[in-house]
Amino acid sequence: MTDSSDVIVGIDLGTTNSLVAYADHGGPRLIPGPDGPDDTMLPSVVAFDPQSDRVTLGREARAHAVEKPLTTIHSIKRLMGRGFADLADDVDYLPYRIERRQTDSAERDIAAVTAGDRSFTPPEISALILRELRDRAEAHLGHPVSKVVITVPAHFDDAQRQATRDAGQIAGLEVLRIVNEPTAAALAYGLDRAKQGTIAVFDLGGGTFDVSILTIEDGVFEVLATDGDTHLGGDDFDRTIGDLIAREIRTEFGIDITTPTIKQQIRTLSENVKMRLGNEETASLEVGIGTDRVYRRTISRAEFESMIAPLVDRAIAACSRAMLRGELKPDQIDQVVMVGGSTRVPYVRQRVAEVFNCRPYTALNPEEVVALGAAVQASILAGDERDLLLLDVTPLSLGIETLGGAMGKLIPANVRVPCQASEMFTTFKDGQTKVKINVLQGERELARDCRSLGVFELQGIPPMPSGLPKIEVTFLIDQNGILNVSAREQRSGKIASIQIIPSHGLTREEVARMERESLEYAYDDMDARFLIEVRTTLEFDLNKAEQMLAQFGHLIGDQQRQMLSDRLNEIRTFAAESDDAGAINARREEFNRMTIPLAEAAMTAALNVDDDRRARDASPSSGD
Amino acid sequence: MPDETPTIPAKCLRCKADLATPIVCEGCRTLYPAPQTADYFDLLNLERTYAIDEGKLTAAFRAITRNIHPDRVSSQPEEVRVLATRLSANINQAYTVLKDPIRRAGYMLELAGGPSAAKARDVPGNLLAEVMAMRERIEDAHARQDPAELANVRTTVRARRAETLAIIAQRADQLTDADESEKTEFRRLINSVKYFDNILAEVHADPLADDGDHNLD
Repeated sequence: MTDSSDVIVGIDLGTTNSLVAYADHGGPRLIPGPDGPDDTMLPSVVAFDPQSDRVTLGREARAHAVEKPLTTIHSIKRLMGRGFADLADDVDYLPYRIERRQTDSAERDIAAVTAGDRSFTPPEISALILRELRDRAEAHLGHPVSKVVITVPAHFDDAQRQATRDAGQIAGLEVLRIVNEPTAAALAYGLDRAKQGTIAVFDLGGGTFDVSILTIEDGVFEVLATDGDTHLGGDDFDRTIGDLIAREIRTEFGIDITTPTIKQQIRTLSENVKMRLGNEETASLEVGIGTDRVYRRTISRAEFESMIAPLVDRAIAACSRAMLRGELKPDQIDQVVMVGGSTRVPYVRQRVAEVFNCRPYTALNPEEVVALGAAVQASILAGDERDLLLLDVTPLSLGIETLGGAMGKLIPANVRVPCQASEMFTTFKDGQTKVKINVLQGERELARDCRSLGVFELQGIPPMPSGLPKIEVTFLIDQNGILNVSAREQRSGKIASIQIIPSHGLTREEVARMERESLEYAYDDMDARFLIEVRTTLEFDLNKAEQMLAQFGHLIGDQQRQMLSDRLNEIRTFAAESDDAGAINARREEFNRMTIPLAEAAMTAALNVDDDRRARDASPSSGD
Repeated sequence: MPDETPTIPAKCLRCKADLATPIVCEGCRTLYPAPQTADYFDLLNLERTYAIDEGKLTAAFRAITRNIHPDRVSSQPEEVRVLATRLSANINQAYTVLKDPIRRAGYMLELAGGPSAAKARDVPGNLLAEVMAMRERIEDAHARQDPAELANVRTTVRARRAETLAIIAQRADQLTDADESEKTEFRRLINSVKYFDNILAEVHADPLADDGDHNLD
């Protein structure tokens, strides 16, 4: 059993919403935010106010998305581990500014977001969301939280997984495990021991899609096959509506939608239309054009379905591929678990039912199940769940660029992780001491069509005639789906060092620097948080004292009463003007000591009243 | 290659319990690096025979994995976690190879010192002609738009595949005593199964064959 103060929390870091959960003996449960037990979803939105340098998150940030489209960052998950060149499509659609981060190497392409005069990499933005979730967990559990499990789409590549782990580190968290979202969902589903057999998890979120097929047997959750698309989700559904609106406004009014504010307004409107079409057959919308003209439109469910059909087709094709890879037919799949908010769209449910030939299982809340599963995985890591075990696979083939620009596959997709492969390398020139390897991920034949994870430079090879050194390089994909590379020169037995230049990610040094910087901000934040807490507690105590003074002040004499009243007002003014949390707290404690005689008098009075009442109740004459 | 762990410890160095598999003690869950001399059968504590009870194999794999998976040691020092990751990679590989009848045969051939797949890529002499005849029948079936004929070809290929696998199963356990030419012939048999598999995969993906029979083998 682990110490309760060492609890590991599970985090679903989503494109649209993020959630945090933990597990105890009663099973996994979500941790709510400040607005009550149902406040479990934190919109994955971060807003920067360039004037005050203030950062807001979640609902508050989302509320300003339309007024401040340039400094309100949403859907950051789409940018994680991606290069600027990858994002041509998104740059057009996302209203905020995305740029290519300047680095020391031309081989690297890292996307960054510019808000006001500051530039942030996607992991830095995600770190802000993670910190907020950590704060919620700490407030709820009443002790510090430093260890987390974070979920990612099963189809995230190495760079996207690394970026997620980097986000955790920047937030000052120890990321014990990266878990695939559909696998996490299966864990939450299969906690009920009666649920054995073969299941498919259909996970369509805000920006990503995964399908995984698993067997559940004796607590072992084994992924047989997975497929998916890291750029397919509810955002894309919204976009079909948004594109339609923009197109029609252009024809009808002859104007192009270019201003970020209107873009964002249309985005919000489109999402709203999609949600309404979940329950209703038609949805109407209006967009004000200038001061006097209005674009009006009614969209029917059938029209919406025909627009999203090509997108849903892509997801359904992935389901068929996954069944093929797992060598399974639809009738061998006992249950299809629906995960992600976009599975609420009736058309999606209908198509899923068709491809798997069974009614999808929708008893679990599709937005909560991944976070709950992450919490279950956290309890496995903590050693609290000894019966359960997750066996996952790598979603993409791993290889290296060979001479002539081909992709030389070393580890195929859908292989159980951890897994490893070794390859021999040698030199081409006499005395050569370095060898560069371009490591790739993807299913295409040519290196340039695959994703480069980075250039691995083997260094410190003993100088020898060309072709003589034998460097054995081991590529190991760990349980997180993250690549670890090690190398050894066999003649000398020397372990060659490896310098990694990540193509779309951050170097270790960059992450460390960001962590330091964010810690500096964190201290400011912590002070700010403490100040708010102290002020709140003070106000509570002062109000209580005021009430007692009004009700029982006469019991302690005029002089005492006046003194307390004066002091109370003094402290209230002080707290409003000062931002020294320590000084405010000291005055609060001092004041509370001064009110002890009042509190005692109030208590005695209350007891006397009680006694009187009891005496009255006991008196035979008082009854009727 | 230097032998880093020359002997397989018979007993756990920590709790003295007998070791069923050389990589982990079932009693106290101490992990040991995989010995160079241990083959996949040793790792999974199975008899070195071609005929494998798949249920037993899976049970062995899961029992060992429960003890060596990195998720089981996440609070332990880094060296233990690294070892667990490596051992898991080993055991995953062992399980995958032994579970697949073709890969298992190839692995047993390599254990016996036979040629690897990369060294001997040829097939038995009559196979190429046979495969060509099968492909001609498929083309004819297409020309005539005859799904029944396509289904017939599939039945023939499946039967030939099963026949070849039966011979492989028969010979696999005698490989250690086999001579070089017998070992090369064994590799050719394995290679020929891959030809049959390719044809079956093509028929499977063929729109003409869409008769609801989606068995892959």
